[in-house]
Amino acid sequence: MKSAEAYEHEQGWDFEKAAMPYVDSLYNTAYRMTRNSEDAEDLVQETYLKAYKYYDKFEEGTNFKAWLFKIMKNTFINNYRKKKLTPHKIDFSEIEESYERVIQKNAPDLIKDPETEIFQDMMDEDVKRALDSLPHDYKMVVLLADIEGFSYKEIAEILDCPVGTVMSRLYRGRKMLERTLLEYARKYGYIRGKAEPAKMRSRKDEDKGPKKKEGPAEEEEIQEPDENEEEVLFADDEDLDLEVEGEEEEFNIE
Amino acid sequence: MLCHDVKRVIYFFLDGTLDLRRQNDFQHHLDLCADCETRIVIHRRIRIFLKKRLAPICAPDHLKQRLTRSLRAFAE
Repeated sequence: MKSAEAYEHEQGWDFEKAAMPYVDSLYNTAYRMTRNSEDAEDLVQETYLKAYKYYDKFEEGTNFKAWLFKIMKNTFINNYRKKKLTPHKIDFSEIEESYERVIQKNAPDLIKDPETEIFQDMMDEDVKRALDSLPHDYKMVVLLADIEGFSYKEIAEILDCPVGTVMSRLYRGRKMLERTLLEYARKYGYIRGKAEPAKMRSRKDEDKGPKKKEGPAEEEEIQEPDENEEEVLFADDEDLDLEVEGEEEEFNIE
Repeated sequence: MLCHDVKRVIYFFLDGTLDLRRQNDFQHHLDLCADCETRIVIHRRIRIFLKKRLAPICAPDHLKQRLTRSLRAFAE
Protein backbone atom coordinates (compact mmCIF):
# COMPACT_ATOMS: atom_id res chain seq x y z
CA MET A 1 0.00 0.00 0.00
CA LYS A 2 1.30 3.46 -0.81
CA SER A 3 1.65 6.34 1.58
CA ALA A 4 -0.97 9.05 1.63
CA GLU A 5 1.43 11.57 0.06
CA ALA A 6 2.42 9.29 -2.73
CA TYR A 7 -1.20 8.45 -3.35
CA GLU A 8 -2.14 11.80 -4.78
CA HIS A 9 0.78 12.00 -7.15
CA GLU A 10 1.40 8.52 -8.31
CA GLN A 11 -1.84 6.79 -7.74
CA GLY A 12 -3.80 9.12 -9.97
CA TRP A 13 -1.62 8.30 -12.91
CA ASP A 14 -1.43 4.61 -12.03
CA PHE A 15 -5.13 4.40 -11.73
CA GLU A 16 -5.78 6.20 -14.98
CA LYS A 17 -3.40 3.91 -16.79
CA ALA A 18 -4.95 0.81 -15.25
CA ALA A 19 -8.60 1.80 -15.51
CA MET A 20 -8.99 3.65 -18.80
CA PRO A 21 -8.55 0.56 -21.00
CA TYR A 22 -11.80 -0.75 -19.53
CA VAL A 23 -13.90 2.29 -20.23
CA ASP A 24 -15.51 0.78 -23.35
CA SER A 25 -16.47 -2.40 -21.55
CA LEU A 26 -17.86 -0.53 -18.58
CA TYR A 27 -19.73 1.90 -20.74
CA ASN A 28 -21.20 -0.89 -22.83
CA THR A 29 -22.53 -2.68 -19.80
CA ALA A 30 -23.65 0.58 -18.20
CA TYR A 31 -25.56 1.42 -21.36
CA ARG A 32 -27.29 -1.95 -21.35
CA MET A 33 -28.11 -1.54 -17.68
CA THR A 34 -29.43 2.02 -17.73
CA ARG A 35 -30.75 1.86 -21.29
CA ASN A 36 -29.67 5.35 -22.17
CA SER A 37 -26.38 7.02 -22.89
CA GLU A 38 -26.72 9.89 -20.46
CA ASP A 39 -27.28 7.68 -17.43
CA ALA A 40 -24.64 5.28 -18.66
CA GLU A 41 -22.08 8.08 -18.80
CA ASP A 42 -22.95 9.23 -15.31
CA LEU A 43 -22.75 5.69 -14.01
CA VAL A 44 -19.34 5.12 -15.55
CA GLN A 45 -18.07 8.42 -14.19
CA GLU A 46 -19.31 7.66 -10.71
CA THR A 47 -17.78 4.20 -10.94
CA TYR A 48 -14.39 5.62 -11.90
CA LEU A 49 -14.40 8.19 -9.15
CA LYS A 50 -15.36 5.60 -6.56
CA ALA A 51 -12.81 3.13 -7.86
CA TYR A 52 -10.17 5.83 -7.71
CA LYS A 53 -11.14 6.73 -4.19
CA TYR A 54 -10.83 3.11 -3.06
CA TYR A 55 -7.94 2.18 -5.30
CA ASP A 56 -5.72 1.45 -2.32
CA LYS A 57 -8.24 -1.22 -1.31
CA PHE A 58 -7.75 -3.05 -4.55
CA GLU A 59 -5.70 -6.18 -4.00
CA GLU A 60 -2.95 -6.48 -6.52
CA GLY A 61 -2.97 -9.71 -8.40
CA THR A 62 -6.77 -9.95 -8.39
CA ASN A 63 -8.91 -9.14 -11.38
CA PHE A 64 -9.03 -5.38 -11.82
CA LYS A 65 -11.67 -5.43 -14.51
CA ALA A 66 -13.95 -7.55 -12.31
CA TRP A 67 -13.29 -5.16 -9.43
CA LEU A 68 -14.39 -2.18 -11.55
CA PHE A 69 -17.50 -4.03 -12.64
CA LYS A 70 -18.33 -4.85 -9.08
CA ILE A 71 -18.12 -1.18 -8.11
CA MET A 72 -20.31 -0.31 -11.06
CA LYS A 73 -22.88 -2.94 -10.12
CA ASN A 74 -23.04 -1.61 -6.55
CA THR A 75 -23.29 1.96 -7.73
CA PHE A 76 -26.07 1.04 -10.09
CA ILE A 77 -28.00 -0.72 -7.37
CA ASN A 78 -27.64 2.23 -5.03
CA ASN A 79 -28.56 4.84 -7.59
CA TYR A 80 -31.13 3.31 -9.81
CA ARG A 81 -32.56 0.10 -8.59
CA LYS A 82 -33.96 1.35 -5.33
CA LYS A 83 -35.83 4.05 -7.15
CA LYS A 84 -37.71 2.26 -9.81
CA LEU A 85 -37.29 -1.42 -9.77
CA THR A 86 -40.58 -3.12 -9.43
CA PRO A 87 -40.12 -6.85 -9.16
CA HIS A 88 -41.93 -8.71 -11.83
CA LYS A 89 -42.73 -12.35 -11.71
CA ILE A 90 -41.68 -14.79 -14.30
CA ASP A 91 -43.23 -18.11 -14.91
CA PHE A 92 -40.18 -20.00 -15.98
CA SER A 93 -41.99 -23.21 -16.75
CA GLU A 94 -44.12 -21.32 -19.26
CA ILE A 95 -40.93 -20.00 -20.82
CA GLU A 96 -39.50 -23.51 -21.07
CA GLU A 97 -42.66 -24.77 -22.68
CA SER A 98 -43.05 -22.07 -25.25
CA TYR A 99 -39.35 -22.30 -26.03
CA GLU A 100 -39.72 -26.01 -26.70
CA ARG A 101 -42.77 -25.45 -28.85
CA VAL A 102 -41.01 -22.91 -31.02
CA ILE A 103 -37.86 -25.00 -31.30
CA GLN A 104 -39.77 -28.11 -32.21
CA LYS A 105 -41.95 -26.41 -34.76
CA ASN A 106 -39.21 -24.45 -36.38
CA ALA A 107 -36.20 -26.70 -36.14
CA PRO A 108 -36.14 -27.31 -39.92
CA ASP A 109 -36.24 -23.56 -40.63
CA LEU A 110 -33.68 -22.85 -37.99
CA ILE A 111 -31.09 -25.25 -39.25
CA LYS A 112 -31.58 -25.39 -42.98
CA ASP A 113 -30.18 -21.95 -43.62
CA PRO A 114 -26.42 -22.23 -43.91
CA GLU A 115 -26.02 -18.64 -42.80
CA THR A 116 -24.99 -18.22 -39.22
CA GLU A 117 -27.18 -15.18 -38.91
CA ILE A 118 -30.49 -16.91 -38.62
CA PHE A 119 -32.64 -13.87 -38.18
CA GLN A 120 -30.86 -11.73 -40.68
CA ASP A 121 -33.59 -9.15 -41.02
CA MET A 122 -34.33 -8.78 -37.37
CA MET A 123 -33.89 -5.19 -36.31
CA ASP A 124 -31.24 -4.30 -33.78
CA GLU A 125 -34.04 -2.64 -31.91
CA ASP A 126 -35.80 -6.00 -31.51
CA VAL A 127 -32.66 -7.61 -30.19
CA LYS A 128 -32.23 -4.77 -27.75
CA ARG A 129 -35.85 -5.05 -26.71
CA ALA A 130 -35.44 -8.77 -26.13
CA LEU A 131 -32.43 -8.14 -23.92
CA ASP A 132 -34.23 -5.39 -22.04
CA SER A 133 -37.16 -7.68 -21.43
CA LEU A 134 -34.99 -9.77 -19.12
CA PRO A 135 -35.20 -9.03 -15.43
CA HIS A 136 -32.13 -7.07 -14.38
CA ASP A 137 -30.31 -9.90 -12.61
CA TYR A 138 -30.66 -12.25 -15.53
CA LYS A 139 -29.67 -9.58 -18.00
CA MET A 140 -26.54 -8.86 -15.98
CA VAL A 141 -25.22 -12.42 -16.02
CA VAL A 142 -25.91 -12.78 -19.72
CA LEU A 143 -24.09 -9.53 -20.46
CA LEU A 144 -21.16 -10.31 -18.21
CA ALA A 145 -20.75 -13.83 -19.57
CA ASP A 146 -21.67 -13.52 -23.21
CA ILE A 147 -20.63 -10.01 -24.07
CA GLU A 148 -17.83 -9.27 -21.61
CA GLY A 149 -16.54 -12.83 -21.46
CA PHE A 150 -16.21 -13.08 -17.67
CA SER A 151 -15.96 -16.56 -16.17
CA TYR A 152 -18.66 -17.84 -13.82
CA LYS A 153 -16.37 -17.25 -10.88
CA GLU A 154 -15.63 -13.68 -11.89
CA ILE A 155 -19.33 -13.00 -12.33
CA ALA A 156 -20.00 -14.50 -8.91
CA GLU A 157 -17.43 -12.11 -7.51
CA ILE A 158 -18.88 -9.10 -9.31
CA LEU A 159 -22.44 -9.88 -8.28
CA ASP A 160 -21.61 -11.15 -4.79
CA CYS A 161 -23.41 -14.42 -5.23
CA PRO A 162 -22.49 -18.11 -5.42
CA VAL A 163 -21.27 -19.64 -8.68
CA GLY A 164 -24.36 -21.87 -8.66
CA THR A 165 -26.55 -18.77 -8.73
CA VAL A 166 -24.60 -17.40 -11.67
CA MET A 167 -25.07 -20.65 -13.58
CA SER A 168 -28.72 -20.84 -12.76
CA ARG A 169 -29.32 -17.27 -13.86
CA LEU A 170 -27.29 -17.81 -16.99
CA TYR A 171 -29.33 -20.83 -17.88
CA ARG A 172 -32.58 -19.03 -17.32
CA GLY A 173 -31.48 -15.69 -18.72
CA ARG A 174 -30.18 -17.18 -21.93
CA LYS A 175 -33.26 -19.26 -22.33
CA MET A 176 -35.58 -16.30 -21.76
CA LEU A 177 -33.61 -14.21 -24.22
CA GLU A 178 -33.62 -16.90 -26.88
CA ARG A 179 -37.27 -17.58 -26.32
CA THR A 180 -38.12 -13.93 -26.82
CA LEU A 181 -36.02 -13.76 -29.99
CA LEU A 182 -37.67 -16.87 -31.36
CA GLU A 183 -41.06 -15.43 -30.59
CA TYR A 184 -40.21 -12.22 -32.44
CA ALA A 185 -38.78 -14.24 -35.29
CA ARG A 186 -41.98 -16.17 -35.59
CA LYS A 187 -44.18 -13.14 -35.17
CA TYR A 188 -42.38 -11.21 -37.87
CA GLY A 189 -42.17 -14.19 -40.19
CA TYR A 190 -38.40 -14.78 -40.10
CA ILE A 191 -39.25 -18.32 -39.24
CA ARG A 192 -42.44 -19.92 -40.39
CA GLY A 193 -44.00 -21.73 -37.49
CA LYS A 194 -47.67 -21.02 -37.02
CA ALA A 195 -48.51 -18.54 -34.37
CA GLU A 196 -50.33 -19.84 -31.37
CA PRO A 197 -51.45 -18.30 -28.11
CA ALA A 198 -48.36 -17.56 -26.08
CA LYS A 199 -50.00 -18.55 -22.83
CA MET A 200 -51.12 -21.98 -23.87
CA ARG A 201 -49.86 -24.57 -21.44
CA SER A 202 -49.10 -28.20 -21.94
CA ARG A 203 -50.99 -30.62 -19.76
CA LYS A 204 -48.09 -32.88 -19.12
CA ASP A 205 -45.80 -31.04 -16.83
CA GLU A 206 -43.69 -34.18 -16.57
CA ASP A 207 -42.49 -33.71 -20.10
CA LYS A 208 -40.88 -30.40 -19.46
CA GLY A 209 -37.21 -29.65 -19.56
CA PRO A 210 -35.12 -29.04 -16.43
CA LYS A 211 -37.21 -29.90 -13.49
CA LYS A 212 -36.94 -29.69 -9.79
CA LYS A 213 -35.96 -32.77 -7.92
CA GLU A 214 -39.01 -32.27 -5.83
CA GLY A 215 -40.94 -29.07 -6.14
CA PRO A 216 -43.57 -27.86 -3.75
CA ALA A 217 -45.47 -26.20 -6.55
CA GLU A 218 -46.10 -27.17 -10.10
CA GLU A 219 -44.98 -23.89 -11.44
CA GLU A 220 -41.60 -22.57 -10.69
CA GLU A 221 -42.09 -18.92 -10.18
CA ILE A 222 -39.13 -16.65 -10.26
CA GLN A 223 -39.31 -13.23 -8.83
CA GLU A 224 -36.69 -10.70 -9.58
CA PRO A 225 -34.68 -10.83 -6.39
CA ASP A 226 -34.58 -7.89 -4.14
CA GLU A 227 -31.07 -6.90 -3.13
CA ASN A 228 -31.58 -8.30 0.34
CA GLU A 229 -33.66 -11.29 -0.54
CA GLU A 230 -31.40 -12.71 -3.15
CA GLU A 231 -30.12 -15.71 -1.28
CA VAL A 232 -33.54 -16.71 -0.08
CA LEU A 233 -35.09 -16.48 -3.50
CA PHE A 234 -32.27 -18.37 -5.07
CA ALA A 235 -32.03 -21.02 -2.44
CA ASP A 236 -33.20 -23.49 -5.04
CA ASP A 237 -30.29 -22.80 -7.31
CA GLU A 238 -28.94 -26.26 -6.71
CA ASP A 239 -31.84 -27.49 -8.78
CA LEU A 240 -29.65 -27.35 -11.79
CA ASP A 241 -27.06 -29.24 -9.86
CA LEU A 242 -24.39 -28.66 -12.39
CA GLU A 243 -20.81 -29.39 -12.12
CA VAL A 244 -18.21 -27.06 -13.49
CA GLU A 245 -14.71 -28.05 -14.15
CA GLY A 246 -12.70 -28.14 -10.99
CA GLU A 247 -15.70 -28.49 -8.74
CA GLU A 248 -16.66 -31.74 -7.21
CA GLU A 249 -20.36 -31.84 -6.63
CA GLU A 250 -22.25 -34.49 -8.51
CA PHE A 251 -24.51 -33.54 -11.34
CA ASN A 252 -27.83 -35.14 -10.69
CA ILE A 253 -29.16 -37.21 -13.54
CA GLU A 254 -32.67 -38.13 -12.75
CA MET B 1 -26.69 -38.86 -20.73
CA LEU B 2 -30.28 -38.57 -21.92
CA CYS B 3 -32.01 -35.84 -23.95
CA HIS B 4 -33.38 -34.37 -20.76
CA ASP B 5 -29.87 -33.99 -19.33
CA VAL B 6 -28.61 -32.53 -22.57
CA LYS B 7 -31.20 -29.77 -22.36
CA ARG B 8 -30.11 -28.93 -18.84
CA VAL B 9 -26.46 -28.57 -19.59
CA ILE B 10 -26.45 -27.44 -23.18
CA TYR B 11 -25.29 -23.90 -22.41
CA PHE B 12 -22.53 -25.16 -20.20
CA PHE B 13 -21.42 -27.56 -22.89
CA LEU B 14 -21.24 -24.60 -25.28
CA ASP B 15 -19.33 -22.62 -22.66
CA GLY B 16 -16.88 -25.49 -22.38
CA THR B 17 -17.32 -25.60 -18.63
CA LEU B 18 -18.54 -29.15 -18.16
CA ASP B 19 -15.98 -31.47 -16.73
CA LEU B 20 -14.27 -33.78 -19.18
CA ARG B 21 -16.39 -36.81 -18.40
CA ARG B 22 -19.64 -34.95 -18.94
CA GLN B 23 -18.31 -33.16 -21.98
CA ASN B 24 -17.57 -36.60 -23.44
CA ASP B 25 -20.95 -38.03 -22.38
CA PHE B 26 -22.61 -35.06 -23.99
CA GLN B 27 -20.67 -35.46 -27.21
CA HIS B 28 -21.42 -39.16 -27.24
CA HIS B 29 -25.13 -38.43 -26.92
CA LEU B 30 -24.96 -35.92 -29.76
CA ASP B 31 -23.37 -38.51 -32.00
CA LEU B 32 -26.35 -40.77 -31.45
CA CYS B 33 -29.27 -38.37 -31.18
CA ALA B 34 -30.33 -36.34 -34.20
CA ASP B 35 -32.75 -34.20 -32.19
CA CYS B 36 -30.13 -33.04 -29.77
CA GLU B 37 -27.68 -32.52 -32.59
CA THR B 38 -30.26 -30.19 -34.18
CA ARG B 39 -30.81 -28.47 -30.87
CA ILE B 40 -27.15 -27.72 -30.44
CA VAL B 41 -26.88 -26.32 -33.95
CA ILE B 42 -29.76 -23.96 -33.19
CA HIS B 43 -28.21 -22.87 -29.90
CA ARG B 44 -24.88 -22.22 -31.55
CA ARG B 45 -26.48 -20.11 -34.23
CA ILE B 46 -28.50 -18.08 -31.79
CA ARG B 47 -25.39 -17.54 -29.72
CA ILE B 48 -23.39 -16.31 -32.70
CA PHE B 49 -26.25 -14.10 -33.77
CA LEU B 50 -26.57 -12.53 -30.33
CA LYS B 51 -22.89 -11.96 -29.99
CA LYS B 52 -22.87 -10.17 -33.30
CA ARG B 53 -25.93 -8.07 -32.62
CA LEU B 54 -25.01 -7.17 -29.07
CA ALA B 55 -21.47 -6.26 -30.00
CA PRO B 56 -19.98 -3.86 -27.48
CA ILE B 57 -20.79 -0.20 -27.85
CA CYS B 58 -17.72 1.98 -27.45
CA ALA B 59 -17.67 4.76 -24.91
CA PRO B 60 -18.00 8.18 -26.57
CA ASP B 61 -14.83 10.29 -26.73
CA HIS B 62 -16.37 13.06 -24.68
CA LEU B 63 -16.89 10.57 -21.83
CA LYS B 64 -13.25 9.54 -21.93
CA GLN B 65 -12.21 13.17 -21.77
CA ARG B 66 -14.66 13.85 -19.01
CA LEU B 67 -13.29 10.92 -16.99
CA THR B 68 -9.72 11.98 -17.40
CA ARG B 69 -10.60 15.52 -16.37
CA SER B 70 -12.60 14.48 -13.35
CA LEU B 71 -10.00 11.98 -12.16
CA ARG B 72 -7.28 14.60 -12.36
CA ALA B 73 -9.44 17.16 -10.60
CA PHE B 74 -10.27 14.61 -7.95
CA ALA B 75 -6.60 13.84 -7.36
CA GLU B 76 -5.74 17.47 -6.65
